[in-house]
Amino acid sequence: MEYVNPEGLRLDGRRPMEMRQLRAEIGVVSRADGSASFEMGNTKVIAAVYGPREVQNRSQQMNDQALVRCEYSMANFSTGDRRRKTKGDRRSTEISLVIRQTMEACILTHLMPRSQIDIYVQVLQADGGTRSACINAATLALADAGIPMRDLVTSCSAGYLNSTPLLDLNYLEDSAGGADVTVGILPKLDKVTLLQMDAKLPMDIFENVMQLAVEGCKAVESHIREILLENAQTLVIRQGYGS
Amino acid sequence: MGSKPCFIDKPVVPGDVVLDLSSMTNQTIKLGGGLQQDHDAVTVVKAGILRFSKPNKYWIESSHKRYIPTVGDAVLGIVVDKRADSFYVDIKGPMVAFLPVLAFEGGTRRNIPKFEVGTLIYTRIVKANPGINPELSCMDASGKAAEFGPLKDGYMFESSTGLSRMLLSSPTCPVLEGLGKKLAFEIAVGLNGRVWVNAEHQSSIILAANAIMNSESLTSVQQKIMVEKLLDRVN
Repeated sequence: MEYVNPEGLRLDGRRPMEMRQLRAEIGVVSRADGSASFEMGNTKVIAAVYGPREVQNRSQQMNDQALVRCEYSMANFSTGDRRRKTKGDRRSTEISLVIRQTMEACILTHLMPRSQIDIYVQVLQADGGTRSACINAATLALADAGIPMRDLVTSCSAGYLNSTPLLDLNYLEDSAGGADVTVGILPKLDKVTLLQMDAKLPMDIFENVMQLAVEGCKAVESHIREILLENAQTLVIRQGYGS
Repeated sequence: MGSKPCFIDKPVVPGDVVLDLSSMTNQTIKLGGGLQQDHDAVTVVKAGILRFSKPNKYWIESSHKRYIPTVGDAVLGIVVDKRADSFYVDIKGPMVAFLPVLAFEGGTRRNIPKFEVGTLIYTRIVKANPGINPELSCMDASGKAAEFGPLKDGYMFESSTGLSRMLLSSPTCPVLEGLGKKLAFEIAVGLNGRVWVNAEHQSSIILAANAIMNSESLTSVQQKIMVEKLLDRVN
């Protein structure tokens, strides 16, 4: 199948190095301590953060750092064909683990010993790159909850189809069988916290694809940053009466 | 890169480097909540606004739903359990806080206050160390009750920590000023994001509570207009 046509356009009309439209919102779950929704094109996820709160299972309590838990789930209606029982399968367990490890790398867990932070991410609409979207939503939700973080982790995927590196794969491109490289970075520190690939790529091409994904992460970071700054700006407006 | 005038009173996000210590070697500075020193750089760990107070204090001001206990803060707590030597009080923090039964004015073994589970108490934080349950007291530093203690009747609602700080700031914020001119009511604001309101008439309580909850995202002018509109409706 032709994923990039001779004019250099992809199936959904994007250029190879073009991202899907990003949309994000903070504070979408009123009961949670921090929450956010994040959209990358048709992929739509929601994240809720609870904590730091008391550890529910005493045997997991750590005296020098906080316990971070993450639960990833997909809504039954999120994919094209409606599927039942998506919670607790191998795929979502693996993604939960990946998100947990990525977020743990940026949360300053040593500041909150003997407590627990729960991150719940749910996919409302899946169109490729749910992993990246979940990490981005979790970052926003953690920032909303006021949990101390080293940096804003962001994630983006890139692939390689028809001998062209493609940024931010959608579902069709994702299931084409080519490589799918998901990268998560700490943009300010310039460190990689997540790198996954589920196919083989030659070394030199891999470097190009990864570089493309890193560029994508930086674009996501600037968007997330803007959303957070806008949110903080409301505080300035409110406190403006004093001055 | 991060010279100080450009970041003060501006919103910042985690990871931002706001101060470069190598360029200010002869100064002593104090870092408050939300800032962390990493060798020569001071980085932000919480999203919010960078504040600076003369001569040398820097901190991040932000508004959250969960509260991180700090010594000296007056908070509204709810009793969740009682033991022989202390009450367990929920203050919306990462852990329940302990309120020793003797931490009351004139408290002795003979004279222990009886609080049911669910009682709302206005207290003060006296110990807050990471990893240890915070300790509360219903006395001020000189051992007087000083308005601390259980709050009876009235209505308690939850707000963000930012709203609580706004209500406690001076000069008095426009909502409370506007309400206070027409209405007689009592208010207790906990820095942990709980507000308690009481008045003689139920209608006044509802009005005051609604006005305060609405003021969360309004500017001072909008607050004044909103309060006036609400007051017009009852009179």
